[in-house]
Amino acid sequence: MKLHIMNLWREILQNFRGILAELSDQNAYQRYLVAHGQAASPEAWREFQDHHWQAKSRRGRCC
Amino acid sequence: MTGRILWALIAVAAAASLGVVAQSHGEPVNSTWLVVAAVCTYLIGYRFYAGFIAAKVMALDNRATPAERLRDGHDYEPTNKWIVFGHHFAAIAGPGPLVGPTLAAQFGYLPGFLWIVIGCVLGGAIQDFVVLFCSIRRDGKSLGQMAREEIGKVGGFIALITVLLIMVILLAVIGLVVVNTLKGSPWGTFTIAATMPIAIFMGLYLRYWRPGKVLEASLIGFVFLMGAIFGGQAVNNSPSLSAWFTYSGPALAFALILYGFFASALPVWLLLAPRDYLSTFVKLGVVLLLGLGVVLLRPQLEMPPLTRFIDGTGPIFAGKIFPFCFITIACGAVSGFHALISSGTTPKLLARERHAHGVGYGSMLLESFVAVMALIAASSLQPGVYFAVNSPAGIVGATPAAAVATIGNWGFPVTTEQMSSLATSVGEQSLFNRTGGAPSLALGMARLFARTGGGQALMAFWYHFAIMFEVLFILTTLDAGTRVGRFMLQDLLGHVSPKLGQTNWMPGMLGTSAIVVAAWGYFLYNGVIDPLGGINTLWPLFGIANQLLAAVALCVGTTILIKMHGARYMWITCVPLAWLVLVCFTAGWQKIFSPLPAIGFLAQADAVAAAKQTATSATVIFNARLDAAVTGVFLILVALILIDSIRVWIGILGGSRPSTTTETPFVATQLVEEA
Repeated sequence: MKLHIMNLWREILQNFRGILAELSDQNAYQRYLVAHGQAASPEAWREFQDHHWQAKSRRGRCC
Repeated sequence: MTGRILWALIAVAAAASLGVVAQSHGEPVNSTWLVVAAVCTYLIGYRFYAGFIAAKVMALDNRATPAERLRDGHDYEPTNKWIVFGHHFAAIAGPGPLVGPTLAAQFGYLPGFLWIVIGCVLGGAIQDFVVLFCSIRRDGKSLGQMAREEIGKVGGFIALITVLLIMVILLAVIGLVVVNTLKGSPWGTFTIAATMPIAIFMGLYLRYWRPGKVLEASLIGFVFLMGAIFGGQAVNNSPSLSAWFTYSGPALAFALILYGFFASALPVWLLLAPRDYLSTFVKLGVVLLLGLGVVLLRPQLEMPPLTRFIDGTGPIFAGKIFPFCFITIACGAVSGFHALISSGTTPKLLARERHAHGVGYGSMLLESFVAVMALIAASSLQPGVYFAVNSPAGIVGATPAAAVATIGNWGFPVTTEQMSSLATSVGEQSLFNRTGGAPSLALGMARLFARTGGGQALMAFWYHFAIMFEVLFILTTLDAGTRVGRFMLQDLLGHVSPKLGQTNWMPGMLGTSAIVVAAWGYFLYNGVIDPLGGINTLWPLFGIANQLLAAVALCVGTTILIKMHGARYMWITCVPLAWLVLVCFTAGWQKIFSPLPAIGFLAQADAVAAAKQTATSATVIFNARLDAAVTGVFLILVALILIDSIRVWIGILGGSRPSTTTETPFVATQLVEEA
């Protein structure tokens, strides 16, 4: 029972961290690096940021 | 067996709680009943109604989703369902579910509560779920693309124009909420002004000093934000400094218009991106805090279940419960804008089709719950205070004495001393006539937060924390919306001249930014100088527009369901569609043609024309007629889509039109199921 609860908490924490990573574009950045065969660097981040936000800023916003 | 007993208990709890909420007369009701009734109804809707649609109608299966088939490492990426849920919820949650229910509380808490819960379970969540499903089966296509392919080119074009027009009204109305919140408030104005250099600092930090460290930059930004709230207190306490940050409504409107232009024209990484990160985290944190506050503290609802204003004579906005309660609640129950997120963005992340159930339907339930929290926070205020804050001077009188006398005559006692003491406790000079919903919601939230920590000593801090949260949230929608509007306009103008469609051509970019800002700025300015406070005019216009967009989304959903199953399941989307059409067209008709000047735009113009002319009479007359024309255009556009859709439905059901679907062929998933 105790193990089950600990696993549950671990899972919740992982999902929470995952949501934070998704909302902060950390996951998107990692995907970008993998897709372009690049290593993390200031230049790679700036390229990613321009590319990512060019698309993101075109999407409708909710009210 | 255990499961059945559990669901029976949930159903009994929902029915019993709804009974208590509906049957209470005279005595204050504890908000716990609303929370239990809402949560149990959501659970039943999710498990049985949405479960039925997922299994029988959509037949969600193990096919590969667009995220898997078209995986590109950018937009298309199979993602954990909880992460997609968080992402989707953060994208759909805007200021609407906070402001709408607060305004609708003028009818009492009951009508708004029932519509938020029932409208969401049977309408709003269904719309989000069905559109998400349709988009998943069509490679993540947008609502406009689906309208064009499933209904016709006319429908697709009208959908694009409708979205652009709605965007203009949306930006004007949320801008008005900001102006009404900050006018005459040096503390609030300083705090919000400080968010701009904070966002620019974060932008530079992320771009040059610590590239990619978004969480780190957001944390630093949040610490600065807290500092800005305390700085605002110092500004408020200093007579010389407070003069620098005390502005009238028109001055703030111009500042906002200028801000919107620069936010649209500046590089996205400098202002828009960092503000978006900060706003998202603050939004999720505050929503969580508000939910915890309501659940743990269980405040009493001071507002009666129904007020005398159900007869249509409300001071915050005029009009009877039907149709104006539904128009005012808007996003808390049904939001057409969600269809833009459910199509295009989220479908490209879903790893499994069946995750659409939780993400599409479940996220809207959570948004509806946020609306219930906002309604509770507003209804926990003493009604006299609520009406004193939210009523415009044109209705209750320009002086505190006149306002308390008018509100007292309505049966909601409040005193000038009480309002003065409340204003002092939150660091404001006055809380009278602060229309727009944000200040009263901030008061309700501050009372809740103050009870969890700090007590009355921190009331002013929590009030301005809530104001900062609401305004930051709204400005994020405002600057992003202006930019989106600019891109949409450039797309349209690109058909006239390809050069105008180029988003990197500076003159085109500046010109279209200026047009979009001027369009919403015009409505904003006229809302600010409106003697009835502006919200009375603009919020119903926005509500009608938003619900009409939902009607467009439901037209697309119905067309696809008919192509899949014939007439068998079309009621799922047709019932909410019929209701929205009835509500929107009734509201639209009344806003144009009602003989009562408080409701009908044309009657208002005639009344002003007949009265003694002042310097602003001509402007008020012109604006009332313009608002009537805008409402008419919305109704005509959506009527055209509806007629076009019905023509397609009759053709398919009668056999004269092939029921060809644009659904992507089945391909089995290769993804391994997550634990």
